[in-house]
Amino acid sequence: MMLIHCPYCDEKRPEIEFAYAGEAHIVRPNAAEQQAMDDVEWSKFMFIRDNKRGEHCERWWHANGCNMYFNAVRNTVTDKFIKSYKIGQKRPSAAQIQKWKDQANG
Amino acid sequence: MSSDIVFDQAVEIPDILKSGDVVTTLVGERTRLSLRVKAADRIAVAKALGITLPAKIGKTNTKAGIMIACLGPDEWFIVGEKAKYSNLYNKALKLSSKYVMSVTDVSFRNVAVELTGPKVAEIVNVGCPLDLSLAAFPVGKCTRTVYEAAPIILHRLSEDSFAMECWRSYAPYMVGLMTAHVQGQRV
Ligand SMILES: [Zn+2]
Repeated sequence: MMLIHCPYCDEKRPEIEFAYAGEAHIVRPNAAEQQAMDDVEWSKFMFIRDNKRGEHCERWWHANGCNMYFNAVRNTVTDKFIKSYKIGQKRPSAAQIQKWKDQANG
Repeated sequence: MSSDIVFDQAVEIPDILKSGDVVTTLVGERTRLSLRVKAADRIAVAKALGITLPAKIGKTNTKAGIMIACLGPDEWFIVGEKAKYSNLYNKALKLSSKYVMSVTDVSFRNVAVELTGPKVAEIVNVGCPLDLSLAAFPVGKCTRTVYEAAPIILHRLSEDSFAMECWRSYAPYMVGLMTAHVQGQRV
């Protein structure tokens, strides 16, 4: 079982306490924008994702813990979590992710 | 509510769990409140209620028979003897018109068992994957976690005792897993 770092609990906790919640940083259109969108645009927002191979920013929910959603960068090839960060923090740049990896490797 | 009415928690603790390395007891009826308060209002609300709301997730404050645990950034779980509560609940209800907060009486949603004995971590770890060493899970720590597939709230009462509570309908499942483990050990 993997241990996942929750940025709110500030602890590494067992994987089974968490639920995956899809790609992160997808901004929901506001009501006016939704009105202006046609079905194709709406379906893109709803269903079309990058499905990235490699370092992926994604949402996680600490369902059986602090009950908070947070974001994490995870490598979808190796399943390695690079960093978890709180909701509201911007999508990390490639340079930032590299820095986190360097820090983790000491 | 009349204090004469005893609520049947409808949970049986089998004899095999009542003796041995770890002794399991069913905790009697308790009052439980779920309190949600924005972090910014934590201190003001605590002051108005005359209680301490720990700021850090996992921390608890136990005073005068009332245990208050911080389960999330804006969530507290309050549990204790039922006589002491109606006041607290009513005060919190009144306050909720002034702050962005909510208080919910969840007394009958949960049942709790207390486990005591030198091998207590072992029986908790049957269903809960947390590190229960004293360094990682010190006395007083309380968190929501899992016992196999059932969500539980786990609270370390002392070095060798835990309180574990789950939704009432999950209790036969939780107690059943503990029983199967102890039966397996004594074959
Ligand atoms: Zn958490």
